[in-house]
Amino acid sequence: MRVLTQLPILLTLAGCLGGFADPDREFAEPVLEGTLHPVVIHQPLTLGVADTHRLDVNGTPIGVACDTCHGPTPSLSFAAAEGAPDAFHEAVELRHGDLECDYCHDSEDRTQLHLANGQPLDMGDAMTLCAQCHGVQFRDYDRGSHGGMNGYWDLRQGPRSRNHCVDCHAPHAPAYQPVMPVHPPKDRFLNPEEGH
Amino acid sequence: MTDDTRTAIQSYPQFLWQALKVAFDGNIWYYAWMTVLTALWLVGVNAFSHQLVHGQGLTAMSDHVSWGMYIGNFTYAVGLAAGAVMMVIPAYLYKDKEMHDVVLVGEILAIAAVVVALCFVNVDVGRLDRLWHIIPGIGRFNWPVSMLTWDVIVLSGYLAINLHVVGYLLYMRFLGRTPDKRWYLPFVFLSIIWAVSIHTVTAFLYSGLGGRPFWNTAILAPRFITSAFVTGPAFIVLALQVIRRVTDFHVGDGAIKTLVSILRVTVPLNLFLVGCEVFTEFYTGGTHVSAATYLYFGLHGKTALVPWIWTAIAMNITAAILFLWAPGKQKLWAIDLACVLTLIGIWVEKGIGLIVPGFVPSTLHEVVEYLPNLLEWKVSVGIWALGLILFTIGLKIAVAVFTGRMHVRAETT
Amino acid sequence: MDATRRAALKGAGALLGATAFARAIAPLQAWPENLSLDELLQQHYKELSKVDMAEILARIELKTLQEYGVRVNVEDPRPIPDVNFGYALNLSICVGCRRCAKACHEENNHDRATNNSYIRVLEMDKGSLDLERGTVNYDHEVPQSDKFYMPVQCHQCDKPPCVKVCPVEATWKEPDGIVVVDYNWCIGCRYCEAACPYHARRFNWLAPEIPPEDINPDQGYLSNQIRPAGVMEKCHFCLHRTRKGLLPACLEACPTGARVFGNLADPNSEIRWVLENKRVFVLKEDLGTQPRFFYFFDE
Repeated sequence: MRVLTQLPILLTLAGCLGGFADPDREFAEPVLEGTLHPVVIHQPLTLGVADTHRLDVNGTPIGVACDTCHGPTPSLSFAAAEGAPDAFHEAVELRHGDLECDYCHDSEDRTQLHLANGQPLDMGDAMTLCAQCHGVQFRDYDRGSHGGMNGYWDLRQGPRSRNHCVDCHAPHAPAYQPVMPVHPPKDRFLNPEEGH
Repeated sequence: MTDDTRTAIQSYPQFLWQALKVAFDGNIWYYAWMTVLTALWLVGVNAFSHQLVHGQGLTAMSDHVSWGMYIGNFTYAVGLAAGAVMMVIPAYLYKDKEMHDVVLVGEILAIAAVVVALCFVNVDVGRLDRLWHIIPGIGRFNWPVSMLTWDVIVLSGYLAINLHVVGYLLYMRFLGRTPDKRWYLPFVFLSIIWAVSIHTVTAFLYSGLGGRPFWNTAILAPRFITSAFVTGPAFIVLALQVIRRVTDFHVGDGAIKTLVSILRVTVPLNLFLVGCEVFTEFYTGGTHVSAATYLYFGLHGKTALVPWIWTAIAMNITAAILFLWAPGKQKLWAIDLACVLTLIGIWVEKGIGLIVPGFVPSTLHEVVEYLPNLLEWKVSVGIWALGLILFTIGLKIAVAVFTGRMHVRAETT
Repeated sequence: MDATRRAALKGAGALLGATAFARAIAPLQAWPENLSLDELLQQHYKELSKVDMAEILARIELKTLQEYGVRVNVEDPRPIPDVNFGYALNLSICVGCRRCAKACHEENNHDRATNNSYIRVLEMDKGSLDLERGTVNYDHEVPQSDKFYMPVQCHQCDKPPCVKVCPVEATWKEPDGIVVVDYNWCIGCRYCEAACPYHARRFNWLAPEIPPEDINPDQGYLSNQIRPAGVMEKCHFCLHRTRKGLLPACLEACPTGARVFGNLADPNSEIRWVLENKRVFVLKEDLGTQPRFFYFFDE
């Protein structure tokens, strides 16, 4: 057996030292420095859309874009329909501290956002607005310790995708919602105990 | 090669053949005893075969309590082996003449106990087919860092030393020659030191683990040695009386008296050390005492080990009282009862009562209990039966050699 | 009793004994026959040449195909030079959903019956770090307002007690910091499981059972190949992924982003930023294990 003939060499090389018999095997090829792969932030479709809490025939939630009524060319007939504004704005619960609509949305065009100094902001740049008040969380997010990621830790080898703030924190009710966890471990003999 | 050596080598097969005949020859009680032991051993073999095929999952162990009955019994058996050599000290160091003849009993017990310990450790291992990995030079031997490698060395060495001493003395007697002191005296003295080492190393297996506060105490090794020097002599006191009754081998009272006087010291000393441990744990309090709380009083309603440990303590205290009360006027039945009590008491205290609380609560402070299941009982009883078989056969051969029934027959050239 | 009768009885006894022994070891007939000689004689991981390793990987893939009917790809990714892994966990954000534990279970081809995972999540009282007061089997909505959640997995310690105690060197610390197990070398003595202070180690008490459709085909020799019964295993930071630059499965599954992973040797990495800017601590620091798994709170 080949193993037995290699034994004396292997023992001398590796046995007592704890190292590798074949030093070539010990490490992988180093990764070459170069341009880093991009970090892509997910652009959620929920921005600028009110959830009607109804599903279409395929099971997709039906949303109505805010600019249907609040955009440059509002559909007035739709907006003027009996009870329509209340019905839609029911879906928009505001539970965001002491905030009111005007604090973030332009008073004329609700599809436009603005910063604290009045500077207008596109809906697509909403993260900047979140960061304005929640700078600490945004700093954490930016440095990778908040919000998670998918893809590569090593951007030399591949890209990474990140959540948008709104993917976890609905802008009008941003508190993270409680969930039921994955079921507890089912180890051998582990009996669920109350209180411990 | 001298004539003596040549005869010695040539007569060896005769020795083995006669030993074999002696092992299978006896009265009706001998056959009954050996049949019962063999039956128990086969029950253990069968249970272990199931475990070998399906995995350790057939036992009651879990990721929380990953060592149990087998390692508990291993610890106890190593103690028995170490303590068995306790007789060697008075015989050789103090030149006690009466002890000399019965020293072999202790060494044969040591051999049987080491075999039992090795069996227990091997049935606990997950991959018996890979045991060659632990052989130095062929596998990878993590010595000197891993205490388990020290244990492999000291147990194998202890077995070898005792096999040599017993084998040499019996074979010389068989040949009708005076044993040459140079061939056994150094090994005898070595075995005294080695006996302490086997059990200290076993204690170090546990006491070196920072993550297990129940074991991580300096007193563990002294406790082990003390309880070893209880179980060894206690077992031999009982064995000597059996030998006196069923064979024509002369066992003087002096040997038993010496052993009892040893027990009079070690049994109370063992209780004292347990007391020290109990004080340090419970006076300090805090989270570190959880394991001891579990053992003695139960934790969060889990009390599986509580009856065990208190029974063991009661047994040990009773044994201590019996040993210390009216020495001199002591009846042998009281001594015998004390020996039995302390053998069982220490089996609980050092076996299950030491290994399991090390794992309860777990390192993440979960309480998962453990009591051995039927399969583990079967395998354990089977291994002890094997030990008793080896002990009986060893004694039978030794007695046959000492009474002259086994003797070399001159070859007709 | 005369000699011949004695001899006859002895013969009968011996025959009875032999038969009884054969019956006793009868269960061994069910021993799995797929243990090849190559497997029995396989050398330690560090003593294998590239050719040996290629043969072994091929053998493992063939065995998986024969047993499960699934084609898998087993590789042996080695550490990238100048990479030293570290992992941090944000206790302010972890909500205790256990999705990391589930992702680990699925990524690493664990036994389905026990839903084994390398990660255990503890529900702790706010204001206390006493593990005695933690719970593992909570089964209610999370997060509870008076609790925080602490997942525990192998910390890949720099001074690992498990590596110290292994009698056959079946586990060791790799240059990139991961403490690995050679599943084909481990003898299953479970000394490492006794030594680990963090309950990180798992033992295969039985052969793991996985439905073929659930098998993750991207496997690593030292990580998530399907392990046999009787060997130890533990979290390996998903080295079949991380050594190729990918994030570990538990991190990707975390919905809140409480997990931070990266290269401690890279001063610009996320993990370095956490260690330098957050108040970081480790579990059971007084044991001197020097873990690479750090916990921190945001405030």
